[in-house]
Amino acid sequence: MSISVLVADDSKLSRRSVIRSLPEDLSYDITEATNGQEAIDSLSQRGFELLLLDLTMPEVDGVGVLEHLQNKESKPNVIVISADFQPEKQKIVMALGAKRFLRKPLDKEELAMTLFELGYL
Amino acid sequence: MSIVLPLDEEQRDALQELLNISMGQAANSLAQLIETKIDISIPTISAVTPNELYGLLFETSGAFYTRQSFLGDIHGEVMSVLSRSGLSEVAELMDYDEPLSKEDIQEIILELCNILAGACLAGLSEQLELTTNLNMPTLFVPDKTNFDELKWQHSLVMEVRFAIAISSFSMRVVFCLDDESLTRIKSTLDELLE
Repeated sequence: MSISVLVADDSKLSRRSVIRSLPEDLSYDITEATNGQEAIDSLSQRGFELLLLDLTMPEVDGVGVLEHLQNKESKPNVIVISADFQPEKQKIVMALGAKRFLRKPLDKEELAMTLFELGYL
Repeated sequence: MSIVLPLDEEQRDALQELLNISMGQAANSLAQLIETKIDISIPTISAVTPNELYGLLFETSGAFYTRQSFLGDIHGEVMSVLSRSGLSEVAELMDYDEPLSKEDIQEIILELCNILAGACLAGLSEQLELTTNLNMPTLFVPDKTNFDELKWQHSLVMEVRFAIAISSFSMRVVFCLDDESLTRIKSTLDELLE
């Protein structure tokens, strides 16, 4: 059974890096969004189990996506993966319901550990 | 006349992302020092003539300007534009007492350049696995004639902007690279994108 994952990042390099970092023990049904608005559109069209979310994006940023999810009954587990890891920013996204905050450049083992803690592995 | 960006879309996207990660590291260093949130922009990358570079840097409202060269696997120059507005609030956060002397202001400017521009370049170099050494920043006054004489006739310009949330202070950092360094970066980016 595949885990439905939405990877939202404006950088193709980062999306590729995130997808490559996903543990190989699991299978995934991956959808990519290139900005926050695309992520919101995808989330409106279907449900996802996991959202791997960048913060600094054009159109709507990652915080905007988290705010959008506030009003939803069914929400994915959100792991924020961002270069902007100042404590203040981490507080904001955690208060908006993100499960974890991971720093860029993404550490593959840290992602695996996070998925383990969230019960995927 | 604008110059065509000498990077393809994937290379530009990758460089922008690496710069974004470096900015995050730089902003975090300053945020820890002054215990205040720093806003960072999405970095922009463009190719400009010296005249356009002057237009890009020069601000009609008051600003301080610094430049510092870097050498190593890639070489170029980092120019920073720091707003006069809000600088005294930043000085307070950095534990300077009012009134600020000329030496205090100079010290604060150079410290901000070292933290933000220095960390940005260090982060970018580390991710590209390149060695660079950044020289000390010096204050300068931009002048159109100076820019015409710049050796960066076709500069690749990477611009990032930092703003301190609780004050009107902002700082822009512009990286200029020469053609040889650009070739080196392009080949490194291609390896990353493989």
